[in-house]
Amino acid sequence: MRRSARPSLKRVLIANRGEIALRIIRACRDAEIESVAVYSDADRTARHVRAADHARHIGPAPATESYLVGDRIVEAALSCGADAIHPGYGFLSERADFAASCEAAGLVFIGPSPETLARLGDKLAARRAAVSAEVPIVPGTFEPLRTDSPKAMAEVAAEAERIGWPLLVKAAAGGGGRGMRRVDHPAELAAAIAAATREAAAAFGDGAVYLERFVEGGRHVEVQLLGDDHGTVVALGERDCSVQRRHQKLVEEAPAPGLSTEQRRMVHTLAVRIAATVGLRNAATAEFLLTPNGDFYFLEVNARLQVEHGVTELVTGLDLVREQLAIAAGSPLSPPVLAAAASAAEPTHHAIEVRISAEHPLTDFAPAPGKITRWREPGGPGIRIDAGVEEGTVVTPEYDPLLAKLLVVAPDREAALARLRRALREFEVGGIQTTLPFHHWLVDQTDFVVGRLRTDLVALTWDPEPLWRAAAGRAAEAVAQLAAHEAHEAQASGSTRMELTRGQETGSTRAWQEAARQEAVDRWS
Amino acid sequence: MVLSKPARLRATVEGPDPVVVEVDGIVPSASDRADSHPSSHVRPLPDTVASRAVGQRRYEAVVDGWVFQVSVGSADRARLQERVSRSAKEAGLQVHITIRAQIPGRVVRLWVKTGDTVEAGQRLLAVDAMKMENEVRAPRAGVVGALPVGIGQTVELGDDLVILE
Repeated sequence: MRRSARPSLKRVLIANRGEIALRIIRACRDAEIESVAVYSDADRTARHVRAADHARHIGPAPATESYLVGDRIVEAALSCGADAIHPGYGFLSERADFAASCEAAGLVFIGPSPETLARLGDKLAARRAAVSAEVPIVPGTFEPLRTDSPKAMAEVAAEAERIGWPLLVKAAAGGGGRGMRRVDHPAELAAAIAAATREAAAAFGDGAVYLERFVEGGRHVEVQLLGDDHGTVVALGERDCSVQRRHQKLVEEAPAPGLSTEQRRMVHTLAVRIAATVGLRNAATAEFLLTPNGDFYFLEVNARLQVEHGVTELVTGLDLVREQLAIAAGSPLSPPVLAAAASAAEPTHHAIEVRISAEHPLTDFAPAPGKITRWREPGGPGIRIDAGVEEGTVVTPEYDPLLAKLLVVAPDREAALARLRRALREFEVGGIQTTLPFHHWLVDQTDFVVGRLRTDLVALTWDPEPLWRAAAGRAAEAVAQLAAHEAHEAQASGSTRMELTRGQETGSTRAWQEAARQEAVDRWS
Repeated sequence: MVLSKPARLRATVEGPDPVVVEVDGIVPSASDRADSHPSSHVRPLPDTVASRAVGQRRYEAVVDGWVFQVSVGSADRARLQERVSRSAKEAGLQVHITIRAQIPGRVVRLWVKTGDTVEAGQRLLAVDAMKMENEVRAPRAGVVGALPVGIGQTVELGDDLVILE
C-alpha cells in the first residue's frame, strides 16, 4: 500500500461561520481531529464557536474585516498550532491567493491547488479547458468581449448573430447571477454588455464579460467530484439544482429525477474528464446545463465543497468532509468512495434539500434579519438538519442569509417528498421571516411533484401575494379565536391566568438567554 | 355561574395593507381552533406602549412558515377609533409621518436633505443589509422635516429614518 504523503491531520482551523463551520467541526470530531473556530465580534456566542475545541477572534463584524482577511486567518492558524485550514464555501474558499498563502505558511489548504483554483476561477479559461477535454459547452465566446471601438462592437454584434437569440452576457469572474444579463433583441446588446461589465467590475473587481446562448427550459445538473493527490478523480453522482430564483439555488436533490442510467453515466464521465484536465484535487462540483433535448452542456467547476453536498452524502452514505480531511492528509481515495463511485449511476436512495434563509418570500426574498425567538427542528426517520442558528440567535445583516438546510432521504423520490412535507409541518421558526413558506408551496406544485424541473420554474409560477393573504387571514382568525378562548377561561376561573402565562414566558426566556450568553462569553473572551 | 356574553374581537395582521378578521365571542372548542392546524403556531408578544394605549394584545402567529404580528382587541373599540381618525382627517388635520427602518443595516446613500420637497415614490435613502442595497422611498409627497440618520450609520429595526411633513 502506498504511504501517505503527510501524517494525518491533528488540528484543523475552519475559516468560516454558520452552518458550514458547524458541519465541518462535526466531521473533525468524528475523525478525532481537533477543530479551531474563528469568529467576528458578531459571532462571539455562535453555535460553531461553542462546538469547536478552540476558538480565535479575528475581527469586527463586517466580513471584509474578519472572515475575508486571509492573513489574519493564517496567523490565527499558526498561533494555535493548526496544521490545516478548511475554507468551507464562500468567503476565501476559491481564492487562489489564499490557498497559496496557506501553503507558504506551511499549512495544508483543504481544497484544490492554487493553480487549479486560479484556472477555474476564470470561466473563460474553464470553457477553454472543457473544449480541450472534448466536453460540450454552451455555444458562445471564449475571450473577453472588446467594445472599445465601433469596429470591435460590430464584431461582437456579428458574433451574437452567429450564437443566436436570446443570449446571455456573463461575467468571466462571475457567480450567483451577478454580472449576468439576458438579451432578447440585437438592439439591447450594447446596453446589456455595458451593464454586465459595470456589475462584474463592482462585484468581482474584473469587468470581463462574454456571450453564451440562452437555453430555454434548461435544467441545472451538477456532478460531485472527489480527487486525491495521486491523480485519481471520481464522480459520486449528480444533483439537480433547477429550483432557483435569480440564479440562487433554493432546493437541491440527488439523483436528478428522470435521467436514464446512460445519461447519468454520460454526465459523470464528462465531469471526470474536465476534472482530470485541470488536475483537480479534493472536492469540487462540475455544473452542467441539461437542455430539453437531453444534451449536457458544461457550465463551470466550483472548486470547493458545495452548500448542497449533503444530498449526495445521504444517497451515497459517505461523509464528504471526512473524505476531504483524509485526502488533504495525502491518503488515496478510500474504498467506500471508490465503491460509491462505481454505483453512482444506479442510486438506491433519493435525497432532497431545502434552504432555510432569513429572506422574505413576499418582498422578492429581501433580507429579513432579526432575532430568532422560536426554533423547533423536525426529527424522526430520514431527516437531517444542518443549522448554524438556534433559539435566541440574532441574525445580523452582515452575512449570507442562509440559516439552515433541511435534508430528507428515502428509498425513492415520492417517499422523500412525503418526508419533506412532514418535516416542513414540524419545522417551527418564529421571530424572523424565513423562506419556509416558499417550500410549503413548492412541495404541492405539480411540476415539482412529478419532477418536471427547469431553472425558470420559480420565475414562471411563484406568485406569493395570494398565499400570503390567505395565510394572514388564517393567522388573524387563529389569534382572534385564541384570545376569545383565553378571555373566556380567565372569566370562568375568575383569575388572570393569561397575564401570568405571558409574564412567565417572556421572563424565563430572557433569563435563560442571559445565562447562556454569559456562559459563552466567560468561556471564550 | 353565569358568564357575561364575551365581546366581539377584531384581529389585525400588521403591515402596510392590514388583514382584518373579526370573531364573535363564541368560544370554539380547542379542536376547532385554527391554531390547532399542525403547521401553525401562536405565541403572545410583549405589549408595546401603543398596543397598551388602545387596549390591544399582540401575538405572533406563524402559518405555513409565514410569520405575522397580529393585534387583537375589542371590535367595538377599534371601530370607535376608526371613526375618530376619519373625522380628524376630514377636518383637514395634517400630520407628519415617520418612516422607520424595515430591516437593520447601514445607511449607505442619502438622496435628500432636510427641507427638500419630495414626490410620492421618490428615493430617500438606501440601507445596506445582507450585501443588498434596500431603497427607502417616500410613501407620499411631502417635505423632509427631519433626517435623524447619516451615511455610514447603523440602524436597527424600527429606528426613525425620515420624518415627512
